[in-house]
Amino acid sequence: MKLTRSVFWLLPLAALALPLLVNPYHQYVINLILVYVVVGVGFNIVVGNLGQLAFSNVAFFGIGAYASAIFTTQLGVPWWLTVVPAGAVGAIAGCAASIPALRGVRLFYLAIMTLAFGELMRWSYIRTPSLTGGSMGLTVPPAELFGQVLESEAQKFYVFLVIVVVVVVAVGRLLESRIGRAFLAIKNDERAAAAMAVPTGRYFVLAFASSGFVVGVGGAMYAALVGHLSPEAFDLVQLILHFAIIMVGGLGSLVGSILGAVLITATPELFRDWPGFEELMFGVVIVLVILFLPRGLASLLAKVHPIFRDRYLRED
Amino acid sequence: MLSLLPQLLVSGIAIGMLYALIALSMTILYRATTVVNFGHGDLVMAGAYMVLIFVINATLPFLPALLLSLAVLFGFGYLLHRAFIWPIISGPHLGLAMMAIAIGYAVRGLVRLEYGSEMTKMPRPFEEQFFFAFNTVMTLDEITFCVVVVVMLAASWFVFARTRFGRIVQAMFQTQRGASLVGIDVRRFNNLIWGAGCALGALGGVMLGLILVLDPDAGVWTLLRGFAAMTLGGFGSLYGAVVGGLVIGVLEKVLGTYVSTAFIDITCYLVIIVVLLVRPRGLFGQHATLRI
Repeated sequence: MKLTRSVFWLLPLAALALPLLVNPYHQYVINLILVYVVVGVGFNIVVGNLGQLAFSNVAFFGIGAYASAIFTTQLGVPWWLTVVPAGAVGAIAGCAASIPALRGVRLFYLAIMTLAFGELMRWSYIRTPSLTGGSMGLTVPPAELFGQVLESEAQKFYVFLVIVVVVVVAVGRLLESRIGRAFLAIKNDERAAAAMAVPTGRYFVLAFASSGFVVGVGGAMYAALVGHLSPEAFDLVQLILHFAIIMVGGLGSLVGSILGAVLITATPELFRDWPGFEELMFGVVIVLVILFLPRGLASLLAKVHPIFRDRYLRED
Repeated sequence: MLSLLPQLLVSGIAIGMLYALIALSMTILYRATTVVNFGHGDLVMAGAYMVLIFVINATLPFLPALLLSLAVLFGFGYLLHRAFIWPIISGPHLGLAMMAIAIGYAVRGLVRLEYGSEMTKMPRPFEEQFFFAFNTVMTLDEITFCVVVVVMLAASWFVFARTRFGRIVQAMFQTQRGASLVGIDVRRFNNLIWGAGCALGALGGVMLGLILVLDPDAGVWTLLRGFAAMTLGGFGSLYGAVVGGLVIGVLEKVLGTYVSTAFIDITCYLVIIVVLLVRPRGLFGQHATLRI
């Protein structure tokens, strides 16, 4: 029998049994992995598929997390109703982050600008204590689904798993569509894409907005998972984690984002007692990946079996 | 309130001199190799930490420690380019930027492993003194900044405008391929430039160490101020980096005093965002944006 991509559906099905096998702490780490699958998938749209150097991802992540938490604490909205609005707020931030790109700001100019944007956001979390709790952080009430409080990590896991499946399928569809091909055309040669009548500006906004939406949803999940948001969680250590996920997994590859999140997310938890070790390790890992495996682990998997190959990426 | 202005100008210019030096060291790297070093802030702070290590752990006097740490950073920059940047120099920009960032993170992680996130004070070479003139106060630190930076500016102007080495660097900035065609060993010169840029940045870091408490995250603080100065002045312009640094130093003080203390923190972010939105080429730069 020939293997088709429908076997991937076995993955979430098999994952359904996970909570029966692990203890609550491991379940927490697994939930964190699901959060970072969403974050990695969202981040990869702009960096891997559109090919832009944008460092604003931590800003989207923080905005999504704080949006979800503020909707819950200030407006009393139950958590599950804040997921999509948090994504929407992230999408708005994404549109805002794409404005400089529309003005023709590219490459490292865009990188610097988005870096400044991210730091500005972190500063504003600290400086608006009435909304965000300032540097003390913001405690989020327990997540609710249809009036039911998600008490255990296992309950959160099932909700997160549904979100992850929806996000991965939706982003996969997006990237395989005409829109995804336009992103790749812009990545490969923006002038050529424009010459082929691809409305590049529109696709820039679309890519940043969809990335912002997905990462914002990840932020809402993060808020529900950790229960307490502090501005330090959205600093540049967070950024290197996001970068490590997509670089190790594979730039521009959906499979890669997922793989990267699974492999990378758990490591900071392992090295909690040695502050600095994770930065050192991520730094070294990224250097090695750039030097020896520029397409990430996904390119190795694609050699194992063609079903791991992203359909929208032509191997060249 | 207005009577404060001369004082603000003086202290703004003094700190701006440091920003200018850091921006200058980044601009030199950029000019020679057209790579923007996103890890530069961490290398700058590594200079201050090296002095700390040499003075405290190796019990050297300050001046030899300073020279040694500049030498170490020169060697580090040289090897960094040779081992990590050069092999991927023809690859995509994303890889280059990520490489620089990753190296910066690794350096920061090393520092944090050793010193934790606690704040450390760098040993001082001289006692703080104050000088009064025309209703303003200047500290000995500030005078040192101004003197050192002006000397370094004169030196780099001389090197770039008057020496064979400088002309080779100019040629490489125009086109690396052309430079290699006329027989310039581009790789070797790039190595040297990276070494020089890192050493110059480290000198800025050591001077920052006089007024800042050192913590591993100071690298980002430094990097963004350097970027703000470069952006305002225009990428790749040596004068621009200096003018940009001075303007940002003064703006921080003036806005921080007259408008809101918040501006001390966010001036550099706002400058970056506003300049790139309104006039991406900055004051003296060229062709920064892609127009389609």
